[in-house]
Amino acid sequence: MWKVFSYLKTYRVAIAAALFLTLSELAVELMQPLIMAKIIDDGILKGDLDVVKYWGAVMFGLALAAFAAGIANSFFSAHVSQSYGFDIRRRVFEKVQAFSFVNFNKFPASSLITRMTHDVTQLQNTVFMSLRIMLRAPLLLAGGVIMSLIVNWKLAMVLVVALPFLLFFLRWVLHTAGTMFRDVQDRLDGVNRVMRENLMGMRLIKAFLRRDHESSRFEKASDDLKVQTVSSLRLIEVSIPVLLLVMNIAILAILWFGSRQVNLGAIEVGEVVAIVNYSFRISSVLTIISFIIMAFSRAKASAQRIGEVLDTEIDLIEAEDTDQSINLQKGHVEFKNVSFKYPESDAFVLQDLSFSVKAGETLAILGSTGSGKTSLFQLVPRLYDVADGEVLIDGTNVKAYPIDTLRNGIGVVPQEAVLFTGSVLENIGWGKEGASEEEIVQAAKDAQIHETVEKLPDQYETRVGQRGVNLSGGQKQRLSIARALVRKPKILMLDDSTSALDLKTEAKLLAALRKYSCTTFIITQKISTAMEADHILLLDDGRAEAWGTHAELLETSPLYVKIVQSQFGEEGFQYVKGFKQTSST
Amino acid sequence: MSKGSNRPHPHNHLFGEKVKPKYWASTVKRIGSYFSNQKWLLSLVLLMVIISSALSLLGPFLIGVAIDSYIVKENAEGLTKLLIGLIFVFIGQSLSIWLQNYWMIGIAQQTVYRMRKDLFKQFHRLSISFFDKRQHGELMSRVTNDIENVSSTLNSSFIQVFSSILTLVGTIAVMIYLSPLLTIISLSIVPLMVFGLKWITKRTGARFKEQQRNLGEINGYVEEITSGQRIVKSFSQEKRVIEEFMVKNERLKESGYWAQTFSGFIPKLMNVLNNGSFALIAGVGGVLALNGKVSIGVIVIFVEYSRQFTRPLNDLANQFNTLLSAVAGAERVFEILDESREERDEEEAIELSSVKGKVEFKEVSFSYEGDDQTVSGLSFSVKEGETVALVGPTGAGKTTVVNLLSRFYDADHGQILIDGHDIKNVKRSSLRSHMAFVLQDSFLFEGSIFENIRYGRLDASDEEVIEAAKLANAHSFIQKLPKGYKTILNQEGSGISQGQKQLLSIARAILANPSLLILDEATSSIDTITEMKIQEALQRLMKGRTSFVIAHRLNTIQQADQILVLHDGGILEKGTHGELLNHKGFYYSLYNS
Repeated sequence: MWKVFSYLKTYRVAIAAALFLTLSELAVELMQPLIMAKIIDDGILKGDLDVVKYWGAVMFGLALAAFAAGIANSFFSAHVSQSYGFDIRRRVFEKVQAFSFVNFNKFPASSLITRMTHDVTQLQNTVFMSLRIMLRAPLLLAGGVIMSLIVNWKLAMVLVVALPFLLFFLRWVLHTAGTMFRDVQDRLDGVNRVMRENLMGMRLIKAFLRRDHESSRFEKASDDLKVQTVSSLRLIEVSIPVLLLVMNIAILAILWFGSRQVNLGAIEVGEVVAIVNYSFRISSVLTIISFIIMAFSRAKASAQRIGEVLDTEIDLIEAEDTDQSINLQKGHVEFKNVSFKYPESDAFVLQDLSFSVKAGETLAILGSTGSGKTSLFQLVPRLYDVADGEVLIDGTNVKAYPIDTLRNGIGVVPQEAVLFTGSVLENIGWGKEGASEEEIVQAAKDAQIHETVEKLPDQYETRVGQRGVNLSGGQKQRLSIARALVRKPKILMLDDSTSALDLKTEAKLLAALRKYSCTTFIITQKISTAMEADHILLLDDGRAEAWGTHAELLETSPLYVKIVQSQFGEEGFQYVKGFKQTSST
Repeated sequence: MSKGSNRPHPHNHLFGEKVKPKYWASTVKRIGSYFSNQKWLLSLVLLMVIISSALSLLGPFLIGVAIDSYIVKENAEGLTKLLIGLIFVFIGQSLSIWLQNYWMIGIAQQTVYRMRKDLFKQFHRLSISFFDKRQHGELMSRVTNDIENVSSTLNSSFIQVFSSILTLVGTIAVMIYLSPLLTIISLSIVPLMVFGLKWITKRTGARFKEQQRNLGEINGYVEEITSGQRIVKSFSQEKRVIEEFMVKNERLKESGYWAQTFSGFIPKLMNVLNNGSFALIAGVGGVLALNGKVSIGVIVIFVEYSRQFTRPLNDLANQFNTLLSAVAGAERVFEILDESREERDEEEAIELSSVKGKVEFKEVSFSYEGDDQTVSGLSFSVKEGETVALVGPTGAGKTTVVNLLSRFYDADHGQILIDGHDIKNVKRSSLRSHMAFVLQDSFLFEGSIFENIRYGRLDASDEEVIEAAKLANAHSFIQKLPKGYKTILNQEGSGISQGQKQLLSIARAILANPSLLILDEATSSIDTITEMKIQEALQRLMKGRTSFVIAHRLNTIQQADQILVLHDGGILEKGTHGELLNHKGFYYSLYNS
């Protein structure tokens, strides 16, 4: 948490300037009554107009100076707070970009979002406020007490006794409210989460008429937020009346003791009056203090939440001695006794897999749903680390590659086509930094999406909404394929990415892929696609059930035969049996 | 992006956009309208403010009395009595302050809660096409960042404003009583204040709005990138994403900087004007006193009062600040609330108590906004209980047909009839209550598997859920999960595969037990052996009810009563599997490719 506040150090100078300006303003404010007294005593009372004019001018000048200081303070304070917020957002975002998927699982997306926006806003506002008014409260407080001590230290002891109690109470409020506001922010996450789910699943919710159901979920979440916000705020607001009461009782004590002292002749009435006046001034600061407490306890909670993100240890990193010059040359992929399980679970998803795919070859992966196909894919670009064994590319363990080099050599097309807000051009170009328009169009042609794009209202400049909502499933898939192709990857990985394509388009696509000299991994359900591949890996429950070419598997694997029959029937089966690969390598 | 940002501003000033005060006032008024059902509680708060203000004046006054009448005169007994009385005054003061805050916080948060609820309900009333154009995160920002802005203002501002006004009125009254002339002089700064406030508001109002908009954009970007993290990582595009983020971050900083700087001027302006009025009173008062027009005592008291006069003004000015940012937040909330509810049913819309399942499309045409016609002149009819398969190349309009049938979108031309009723005259809720869907992207909620399947029919028992899962062939994999049906699926969906998600979606539709079944690529990610297993269940499910099936794997639809081959938004061929094969047309070539 303190780390988050420590980022303010960058702005030492501006902070010092802002505080200095606040102090000068305060000084002017304190000087004013003195000048006022001078005008009255030496000017008006003595009938000296020159004195009135002189001091009036001085007062006017000082007021202008204070104004200038205040305006300048605005610039400095806004600069510090906004730049501070900017820095934190940058740090958090950068940190999150470095997260592994294990790290991601710790923070739901909705929570990361609130941390990056709402929590930062809280901190920002607190900093701004601190630079402008925070100093006043303690200074006025201390000033009042010191002045009272000077006037009559015996009587002022009442204040000195009351003060520790006040400070202790404030500390308690700050601490308790901090914890409570932490909960408020977490519940805000909850509201955000339900909202996000609703936006993502809007179609389904409408289809199943679950508006009321969702409304009650949302109402529950926002009610939770409301209840917690109310009790946190109420706690804070208790502080003013309590502090006020304590101060007021202290004043009564001063009056009572004061009157006894006056009776004894040990003290002047004027002294009592002065101390009472100072006490009133101290209580007028209390409102500011409670305001500060509120801001600080919220800031504390937010800083904690941001600190959690920043302090997360990233578990998937390059080794320090990684050779940065190493390159992904050919694309020969080898799995050696690879086992894998997701870090948060105990069950192995892949077990003891060994195979090798030479550069330029195609591997088709088949298997029932949940057999580990997608998990296997994730190991090649090192989205996860293996639990056991090795994944080698061109004979080098993937862990030895710089992560950027490794992933830059790989083109991944995920199962669910994720697109980003932006034009079609931008979405395809996303695959390769600085891709030329020709490259993008070529990739689009190969992905069989060029013609479709040409028919769109603004062709390549057509805006695609989040998740590509205004495109059909097949169109999204092909855009996502084009995005991978534009990188001219050494290894292309298609995760069942042609499921929404009709067979004709798919065939054209696969034909176009052949001219890319890359190793291709393709997860598919379709035998017609698999039989074109150099190797077929049949997964069953995370193990290699069979490995070989189409012809070999027809002989050796009963499960494969079963799959073939499920797709072609008995009659088609005979046809498939006689199939010869068209792309013999 | 948002509608409000493009709203034309009639006056474009040299320094930033002008925020029309009328607009401003209506927003404040509208926030106020949320208080309306808490009037009596609000009156209590006002009462407490009055009491606490009165007591806070009474306290010092009585202390003055104590000093003058008892301490100076050394009357210990009287003093003790008075001090005891004062204890009650102070307790009363603290109590009334506490109560006013206590109630006000309740009122404010209830208001915020209602605002949030309204916003959420509105989201559900908007049509799907509204969401096509917006980023989720940008919309989410309105529910969190913008409403929270309103929230933090409401908590304190109302009381502050009211008590400031109260003090102000009281002080002015005393000042007039003391010296009308000096009062006029001290009030002469008020026009200057108003002018200054206007000058600043003109700048800050727009800037605060811009800040909230930029914050919304960042929210949108972060949400989108976090959702697509898998792609960012696979393509190792972290650097680019960070760069893009920084552009937005910079923009937010910039707008925030100016909003905050300008709004920081307000209290300072108040200060200088107050100081100016001091000087004025001292100067003019001095001259008047020299001429013997007022007594010196009056000037001294007057200066003291004019200090009192400035405090509430300062407070008000400070509240103005937070009010501005709250208005900016509220405006963005109201922007959504003012979107036309496209999903409003026709007034004479009817409920369908039961649906047999006869469906007819008559010359239906439709285009998504700005696109070429996706579907044009589409006509076909389906008898009750039939299974219709929609096939064709991607982008041919298959999903669109389903979207129109379920009224996610309304046809531009032509009619769609169910059991002879034009669906435009049927309530959407009634229409959809007879349908069940397995949609292309199988969305699951964060929650247990039980809850996710039960989404199909909320009152289904555990046994019924398990039965549906068995039919969908999902039971076996669910059982293998460590917590079985109680396994919590998280939002990012890790833990189960895409194919398994589809099985759960199918189970959900089976549980719903509808008259009309819509399967849009329901089995695309499922391996063919599993598919064969659930095919049987699906056949059984489709039996006796009208079903629309979209599939690319043609062997899954061979039993369909009718196959519509769509191409470029029109029907190219139709018939049964056998007929279409004999026809040796497009379907034939698709099938044999």
